Amino acid sequence: MVGDEMKFKKKDKMKELIETMNSCSLIELEGIPISPQLDDNVDLLKKMFSDCSDFVIREFRQKNSVRAIAVFVDGLIDTKEVNSALKSLMVLEDGDEDIKVIEEALLPVSQMGRVDDYKKLLQAVLSGDTGILVEGNTEALTLGIRGAEKRSVNEPEGEAVVRGPREGFIENIRTNTSMLRRKLRTPRLKMKSLVVGRETNTNLVVAFLDGIADPEIVQEVTGRISKINMDAVLESGYIEEMIQDNTYSPFPQLMYSERPDTVAAALLEGRVAIFVDGTPMVLIAPVTFWMMMQASEDYYERFQMATLVRLLRYIFLIISLITPALYVAITTYHQQMLPTTLLLSIAAARESIPFPAIVEAFIMEISFEALREAGIRLPKTVGQAVSILGALVVGQAAVQAGIVSAPMVIVVSLTGIASFTIPHFNASISLRMLRFPIMIAASILGIYGMLVALLLILGHMANLRSFGVPYLSPLAPMSIGDLKDVLLRAPWSMMEKRPSFLGVQNARRMNDGYANSIQERGGQSGVTGNRHQSEEGQS
Amino acid sequence: MKKTVTRMLVVLLCMFLVSGCWDRREVNDMAIVIALAMDKEPEGRYRISIQVPLVSSLGAQSGGGGGTSGDKSYYVDSAVGRTIREANDLIQARMSREIYYSHHRMIVIGEELAKDGMSDVLDIVARFPENRLTAYIVMTKGKGIELLTAQPQFERFSGEAMRELVKMGGITVSLKDLAQMLSTPGVNAIIPVLAAVDSHPKGKSKEIEATGVGLFRNDKLVTIAKAKDLTGLRLFQRNFTPFSVVLPLNKKERLTVNFSKGRANIKPEIRKGHIHYKIDLYTSAVVLENMSNLDLEKEKNIKMLQTKLVEQINRGVNDTIKTIKQYRSDIIGLGIVLSRHYPHEWQERYRSRWNEELPKITYEIHSKVNMANFGQTTKNITQSEDNHE
Repeated sequence: MVGDEMKFKKKDKMKELIETMNSCSLIELEGIPISPQLDDNVDLLKKMFSDCSDFVIREFRQKNSVRAIAVFVDGLIDTKEVNSALKSLMVLEDGDEDIKVIEEALLPVSQMGRVDDYKKLLQAVLSGDTGILVEGNTEALTLGIRGAEKRSVNEPEGEAVVRGPREGFIENIRTNTSMLRRKLRTPRLKMKSLVVGRETNTNLVVAFLDGIADPEIVQEVTGRISKINMDAVLESGYIEEMIQDNTYSPFPQLMYSERPDTVAAALLEGRVAIFVDGTPMVLIAPVTFWMMMQASEDYYERFQMATLVRLLRYIFLIISLITPALYVAITTYHQQMLPTTLLLSIAAARESIPFPAIVEAFIMEISFEALREAGIRLPKTVGQAVSILGALVVGQAAVQAGIVSAPMVIVVSLTGIASFTIPHFNASISLRMLRFPIMIAASILGIYGMLVALLLILGHMANLRSFGVPYLSPLAPMSIGDLKDVLLRAPWSMMEKRPSFLGVQNARRMNDGYANSIQERGGQSGVTGNRHQSEEGQS
Repeated sequence: MKKTVTRMLVVLLCMFLVSGCWDRREVNDMAIVIALAMDKEPEGRYRISIQVPLVSSLGAQSGGGGGTSGDKSYYVDSAVGRTIREANDLIQARMSREIYYSHHRMIVIGEELAKDGMSDVLDIVARFPENRLTAYIVMTKGKGIELLTAQPQFERFSGEAMRELVKMGGITVSLKDLAQMLSTPGVNAIIPVLAAVDSHPKGKSKEIEATGVGLFRNDKLVTIAKAKDLTGLRLFQRNFTPFSVVLPLNKKERLTVNFSKGRANIKPEIRKGHIHYKIDLYTSAVVLENMSNLDLEKEKNIKMLQTKLVEQINRGVNDTIKTIKQYRSDIIGLGIVLSRHYPHEWQERYRSRWNEELPKITYEIHSKVNMANFGQTTKNITQSEDNHE
């Protein structure tokens, strides 16, 4: 009696729901059960997906006339595979209407799930699964037969290398995780799945190496992501901005990469990767400033060259940050610092320039930024025109017309080239931005002002943290053992330990004394030694 | 966030209070002084002359072309005032650009001023922060301004030419050196003397030539010695620079010998209130030119050359010390050496009247010449074998 009443009430609730149902977000569907009456389900779905031309509800019967429906989004599924799955469902006989039996024994589909509420069902269907609802069941099946269009794996354009793998992530998150799994074939590689975005329902995967990454950092990352309450996540940049430590800092506190090898290397150092569906850019956290100055190729080339290239990058980092400021400061305050002949040539070049040096610097720097921006947005064929125009107008013509001086053009172009040597784009933009306040400080207070500005920036960097890891570590706070991968790149045989400042659990990369044993065996002595041994074995 | 903004503002405001150096000036609003000359004028007034490059005529613009048009690439202006600074202000009053002294690397002292004592005018040079102590100081016979108006052919300004010449010559005196020489008892100052001479064959350019060395007692010029009278002086310089001498064998035959290394060792002795110096000289010599039939492969010839060189060096040092005694100007710092060996006697007896003591000193010279190298070919290759000996 009581049970009947309950049932009746439930039924009523369903009817009521169907009547009031409008299109809504998935979160609002949490806890709404799938009705055993198929008609109710069909009504509800039809109402929910009214005016959705790509949403398909395919009604069919099993051989014993038990009704069932398949729901899917056209274009997200692999039609051929779904057809064959439906075919095997349609031939089912008596007693095979229980969804559990169908799942376990009757449907030859490798990826399948059982769900009992609408939120889970629709999440799966909208991600490309096919939902199967059978009359009389309060659960539904989701068949993971996806077949959406996707781009093929290409060389990553943003992070090209001379030596190293040439595959880059694509927009499909499954393909991306599979590429990572191909690099790290270990059960330690964990991939936690999350869904973010009320309307986009974007799939996220938080990947880390269990037993290497600091569990607290993993906890922190997943915690921050699950707190996000946005309607849409269209790119990993949304996630980055929502979970970073300091929103107002000009420095990026997460790194992104579209290279599986870079992500794998980061995981092996105990970091966490965040895959976002729909973008090839995978986030890496926590990061340090020095990571922004490293390219994956540093680790593939021999260490001497890698070290030199790294030093070169640091030099050009400083150049890109302070050259215009230094030029302004020296030519307006500290003329005594220049060699006399240089001062005379600068004076001669500036003779007919109507603007003070700082205005000149701003004109040039801003037009350079504009040129760069124009070059990015324009189609490739028009882009060439921009560079020609830019070189002519901003370079030669401006000098000849006496609007800017030739030394200023040299300074600006040097700065531009220098900023291109920074391997990670988001780091290079922040340095591009910081150039301007330093220039202003230099124009007001000379080198003193420049140094004050630099010190403020340095203080901010020392204060900054990325998921609890100091931004300048291992330099500040100092940990000497980790320095061999900061300014230099030590040979692999010497990098026996993972960076300690990330709180890694399993610090050793190699067995004890591995490098030594190689060196003892290596070289000429090793060869003769081996030969000697084999001769002994023969006799 | 609000707190950070407040903190930043405090720091920024402090920056303005602390610094107070709003002295921005653009390079095209400055008159960069390359060289400056100071002269004495009647009635105890001073003339200051500055040499300023006209940067607009220095090129850097495309085209250019007319390099021979005769337009000078510099400009010399001078003014007379009761003080150097007053004269400077007079020049500034008719100069559209701010006079900027940080790059002047030559100071020329006129003869009158040198004779009259120059420590008064050097005060401004040392006190004014824009001046560099590394600037070289020279003097000239006559007016200093004449050196500034000379237009040498190689360099764009005579200031640059003077600097290069002074750096090449054996005796370089920077402002710092001069200040040290003037303030240290037991040594007197020397300043190289330059002159503007006509180029040879005569062109329209005036070249700068090093003609001698000015000897000072305290801050006053006592005499100008010819460079060749002071060959010995070069051996006593702190930084020895190689130089050449001509070694005559007889009326017709002579050699040119270059001293590549040189070192002087002075040891004073006080015997019964009488100061006696033992001077040891070590030099390495290289034969540059052999205009004689001397066979340098033979050891006895080398020995002979060495004795001749020793004589020549001794004569040079003798001349130098004679000059020192005659003019009572201790240009090689004999007094300093004495003070190091006999600090007590120096303090009590000689320090205050060292220049009067100078003529009374005696000395002996021991020279040693090491013939390091006599050239790759020992004989004159253009002379045939049988002609020789």
